[in-house]
Amino acid sequence: MDEKIILNRYIGKIKSDAKKLGRIVTIMEICGGHTNTIMKYGIRDLLPKNIRLISGPGCPVCVTTQFDIDCMIEIAKNVPVATYGDMMKVPGSNSSLEDAKANGAKIFEVYSAEEVLELKKNNPSVVFFGIGFETTAPMTAFLLKKKICVYSAHKLVPPALTALLDGDVRIDGFIEPGHVSTIIGTKPYHKIKIPQVVAGFTAERILRAVSILVELIAENKDIVINGYPEAVKEEGNTNAQRMLNEYFKVVDSGWRGLGIIPKSGLEVKDGNLNAKIKYKNIIKEVPPPKKTACRCGEVLKGLIEPAECPLYKKACTPEDPKGACMVSAEGSCAIAYKYGR
Amino acid sequence: MDKDIIKLAHGSGGKEMNELIKKLGFSYRGRWQNFDDDSATFEIGKKHEQLVFTTDTFTVTPIFFPGGNIGHIAFSGTVNDLLMMGAKPLGLSLGIVIEEGFPKEELQEIIGTIKAISEKTKIPIVTGDTKVMEKGKLDKIIINTSGIGIAKRLLAEKPIPGDKIIISGGIGEHAIALLSKRFNYETTLITDSKPLVEEINSVKCMIKVAKDPTRGGIAAILNDISEKHNVGILIEEEKIPMKEEVKNVSEMLGIDPYELACEGRFVCIASKENAGIVEKKLKQFNKDAGIVGEITDDNKVILQTILGKRILSMPSGRIVPRIC
Repeated sequence: MDEKIILNRYIGKIKSDAKKLGRIVTIMEICGGHTNTIMKYGIRDLLPKNIRLISGPGCPVCVTTQFDIDCMIEIAKNVPVATYGDMMKVPGSNSSLEDAKANGAKIFEVYSAEEVLELKKNNPSVVFFGIGFETTAPMTAFLLKKKICVYSAHKLVPPALTALLDGDVRIDGFIEPGHVSTIIGTKPYHKIKIPQVVAGFTAERILRAVSILVELIAENKDIVINGYPEAVKEEGNTNAQRMLNEYFKVVDSGWRGLGIIPKSGLEVKDGNLNAKIKYKNIIKEVPPPKKTACRCGEVLKGLIEPAECPLYKKACTPEDPKGACMVSAEGSCAIAYKYGR
Repeated sequence: MDKDIIKLAHGSGGKEMNELIKKLGFSYRGRWQNFDDDSATFEIGKKHEQLVFTTDTFTVTPIFFPGGNIGHIAFSGTVNDLLMMGAKPLGLSLGIVIEEGFPKEELQEIIGTIKAISEKTKIPIVTGDTKVMEKGKLDKIIINTSGIGIAKRLLAEKPIPGDKIIISGGIGEHAIALLSKRFNYETTLITDSKPLVEEINSVKCMIKVAKDPTRGGIAAILNDISEKHNVGILIEEEKIPMKEEVKNVSEMLGIDPYELACEGRFVCIASKENAGIVEKKLKQFNKDAGIVGEITDDNKVILQTILGKRILSMPSGRIVPRIC
């Protein structure tokens, strides 16, 4: 019951502060984990009309390009591949890794570095499909250290934030991702000139972040507040950062929906362990992705709500997803679908 | 996309499986009824008694998990399916397919488990079959059990608005104990797997419907009940019994605890008059048992959260933890 009182206090405070704003403000939650909590508790409906929460691109599988998936499917037809379970259902141009697996390709679902090392014993040529942000990249770096061949589709969050601010949506504040921030710390956000709050994943943490952001926006304060201090330190996890620097180089990278963002991707430094180089003959044959009616790109940029996509709930469902956002538990469309919105 | 092959999601107990079964479309049913329930039923004798029949096939990774092994769930699963219909289980069949090279000692342990529960519950294994397949043709072991029972009164009465929903104990413990081996975390939780003979018998005459939340968890069975009886359900989230550890691990993995399997719990529906006694009786077996919600007159399954209401939807796809 105490929790309910606390939550209602935040909502009350947001409501009274919002009156002072005199305009509609848009706050983007970057992380899919945040979107999940927001939808689960119907937080958007509880906020005053002039506070708009929109979902950002923080779902690891959602931002992976169709081309990368097509390449991995082709590689998987030739050599064993290991990746996260979330990746299996994401549609490429014609099929998914799950389809390829059901048709006989050797694809293993893993959740830890140990599992990949174990797999390597019987599958020495196994390729790890590394996806996700700064959170998952350190594990991939560890695998590179252990001489596992990697296809990297890893992305960096801060460059995407800058790209979003240059885009078509006016964003007044960011709720920064909790887990990513445990790795990168809060320092990289200081370069971005907009109010930001790093938040954890409970309803209380998110409402508190919104409440602080509304205050900062009202006062025009472009500062970063760490609202998740039990997990996030200013300097982040320096060991993990060191690993990333040692095994990856920062490159321009393609994001589903957002296009190429300068210096937003991590590429494997060692050519011998880089699957894109090792299997360049296979990748060379992969045609450019087909254009579909799927509007995941606009969902990821916060331009439209899932329900505004013509495929949502019709051709595109969690059982038969047409777009990546309908696959992952962190994807905006899958979340909206699950909570009946 | 290739739609003509079976994928893992077809076996996850959610939407995909239901659609597949519908599509297979067995139309000839003879005199059997309730084929969409936990067990099918067949009226026998002059007293309108019902023969109740069910089958289930068990594959689980790992086969040994905290607090039990595949033998526990193979026996209890089928017994519980009979019990949920209101039947007294008479006997079970046991079919085992084993991979060549499987350690005899492990097989003995699994069979020993089944024997022990069989003796304890006085439900015999009456027929069986064993096959061995070449190494690599299956993953260690698959067990099928079928069971028959007799019911004087089927637990298939249509609930009405105002009826209460009661859960017999904390949810998700089996799944969280099992997943600890898959995702490498330590847990003090053990499987909840057990035959629910005593629990059901103590409340059988006071309840209208009972269902055990195995695959798909309470989300799946509440939607099943809502669909089958064309009623709505309102559940108060704060009342759902859940151990702190289940809550925390679910949060950490980003999985929905309402979709997690239990192997020794059931959800039942009783009139408002009976609900209090049912709750009290069930608390004798498990202190976490309690009333969690009620039947409503729309046709949705709604969860009342601390902040507002939301739909509790039918699970779909496989349970996949978040990676970010």
